[in-house]
Amino acid sequence: MFENLSKKLFGKSLWIYHCNTGACNGCDIEILNVLTPYYDVERFGMKLVASPRHADVMLLSGAVTRPTLPLVKKAYEALPSPKLVFGIGSCATGGGCWFDTYNVNGGAAGVVPVDYYIPGCPPRPESIIYGVALALGIVDKQVAPIEMKQMEFPIDVYERNKAWEERNVIYELLK
Amino acid sequence: MEIVYVLINLVIFLALAPLFEGMVRKVTARVQSRMGPPLIQPYYDIIKLLGKENLTAGNVIFNFAPMMAFAAALSVVCFIPLGYKANFLTQYADVITIIYLLVLGGVAILLGALASKNTFAMVGASREMVTMIMVEPVLAMTFFVGAVKVKSLSIDSTVFSVMNNGFTWSAALMMVLYLMALQAFVGKQPFDIAEAEQEILEGPFVEYSGPNYALFKYSLMLKRMFYAALFVMVFVPFLHSGIYALDILLQLIGVAFVFLFIALIGSTNPRLRIDQAIRYYAVLIVMSLGAVGLSVYGI
Amino acid sequence: MWLTSKIKQVLMVIKPGVVTLNYPYVKRPTPENFRGSPHWDHEKCIGCGGCANHCPARTILVRDLCQEIRQMVYDGSRCTYCGRCADVCPEDAITMTDKYELATDDRKDLNESMELFMLTCKRCGRCYDMETRNKIDRMDIQGYRYDNIEARAFIRKTTDRFDEDMLKSTENFKRPEKIGE
Repeated sequence: MFENLSKKLFGKSLWIYHCNTGACNGCDIEILNVLTPYYDVERFGMKLVASPRHADVMLLSGAVTRPTLPLVKKAYEALPSPKLVFGIGSCATGGGCWFDTYNVNGGAAGVVPVDYYIPGCPPRPESIIYGVALALGIVDKQVAPIEMKQMEFPIDVYERNKAWEERNVIYELLK
Repeated sequence: MEIVYVLINLVIFLALAPLFEGMVRKVTARVQSRMGPPLIQPYYDIIKLLGKENLTAGNVIFNFAPMMAFAAALSVVCFIPLGYKANFLTQYADVITIIYLLVLGGVAILLGALASKNTFAMVGASREMVTMIMVEPVLAMTFFVGAVKVKSLSIDSTVFSVMNNGFTWSAALMMVLYLMALQAFVGKQPFDIAEAEQEILEGPFVEYSGPNYALFKYSLMLKRMFYAALFVMVFVPFLHSGIYALDILLQLIGVAFVFLFIALIGSTNPRLRIDQAIRYYAVLIVMSLGAVGLSVYGI
Repeated sequence: MWLTSKIKQVLMVIKPGVVTLNYPYVKRPTPENFRGSPHWDHEKCIGCGGCANHCPARTILVRDLCQEIRQMVYDGSRCTYCGRCADVCPEDAITMTDKYELATDDRKDLNESMELFMLTCKRCGRCYDMETRNKIDRMDIQGYRYDNIEARAFIRKTTDRFDEDMLKSTENFKRPEKIGE
């Protein structure tokens, strides 16, 4: 009984632990911006805590570099379940510009199971709050893959139109 | 019959302590020009914490310390005469018991911190020890101002001494000193050196997670409400009417005002260093000894 | 702790009141040159590959499916929204839109891909030989070309001609997946 209540109220008070895995600090500044009075995220009940054992959500910023890789895994294990991981910025979603360099493991996806990605370099504070609201279920997702495929070759279209026009020439002459 | 008063005490304190804490957070947010969390946010926090996984450090004291802190806070609540009605348990304890139980809560935090095997927790524990040592004399003098006058240490006569004998100079001086020392009792800025110091170090609660942390937080909230209620009971006796329910209501409104005061001072002040805090408190301790001295001479 | 200055501090806050932007319900318009996610106009793109050449994160990829179809893939997971692709495009086919609400739980949602019809050489249709004769195509192989788009496999070593064995070895490439999936 009590567990159901805890699960329902989980979204109303999420505590955030911020982990910088070798970022340039752009995304960190944007995360701190989100806690200022203009984009106040505390109205959703979220608080920044300094110890991963108190937190529910881990915000990863930065491409996961080789020295910080075991530390990120340790910090992820120190969060008590149920937990969420957000990857903030282009470096965390795929490694950014440095995805194939010697020191970078290609973003947060291969290291810890990430639940939500917030791309951007750095992401606007509004888009971080949008990601948070998406996780809470307040808004709907707005991105979807776009694919444009070639259905018919333009040569075929051209020749078909030409054939149609030539067919209609007789009717024009008969008018 | 008087056992009911004990239960009413417990229920009121358990149910309303997070609400006042939420009020403090909301007022802090408004002073910082932002929309704060909703008023019932601490309830959500505690229920969510109770539903999380409990990661322990393995030893018995780690799990025992939060329960001891919560039990100490609850037992203090049982003894005090809320609503100016002494209840069943009040006759079995005196003022020294209350001070002892509050210190026991602090010692429980220390035990929990030292059982965590973490350096940050050790530093937090040492700061908590210093805070406790400097705060207890002022609390004791608050009680002794009344105790010296009525020449007994029992709770109801001490707490009601101002109500029964009127305001004397010593009582007025003690009231001002209590207000100045209130921030350290409840652990808010400028004196939140030990407990909520997650901004600087991580405080003594670094390794606690889930239900243990919920118990610690709840015991801190209860202590906070107790100190505010003590101020209203001892120093504001004008709210005494004869009816029990109306008394409780008026006292709760007084407690809300005291929390407003705590929040306003807490959000406009920086955090003091430990040596600055000790210097400030040394002055307060000397002046409170002076207040007790004044009350000995009957002034 | 001067009391009067603290009281003045509290009274000073009353004038601006609450300044929070209630974000998901109230949105602020974006500034003028804001660079959000890029978008291709498939009617204007000529498939030159200039955007793919300039992308610092090698996010835009070019692949010839056959002699006549060129596929441009934008893999949004690493884009830094720098705008170089829009800057260098000779036909202004890429615009940086002002969409910043790009949060998602699956990285594949950020992809855009586009197939273009490329005309063959007018003389014989065979002169535009893929991969070996042409300097531009040789730059393709060394630079920004995926050869196995579905598996997102790179050819990490470069050669000056197309190597079938290297292509075959990319079939075994496994993109890192979520732990626990």
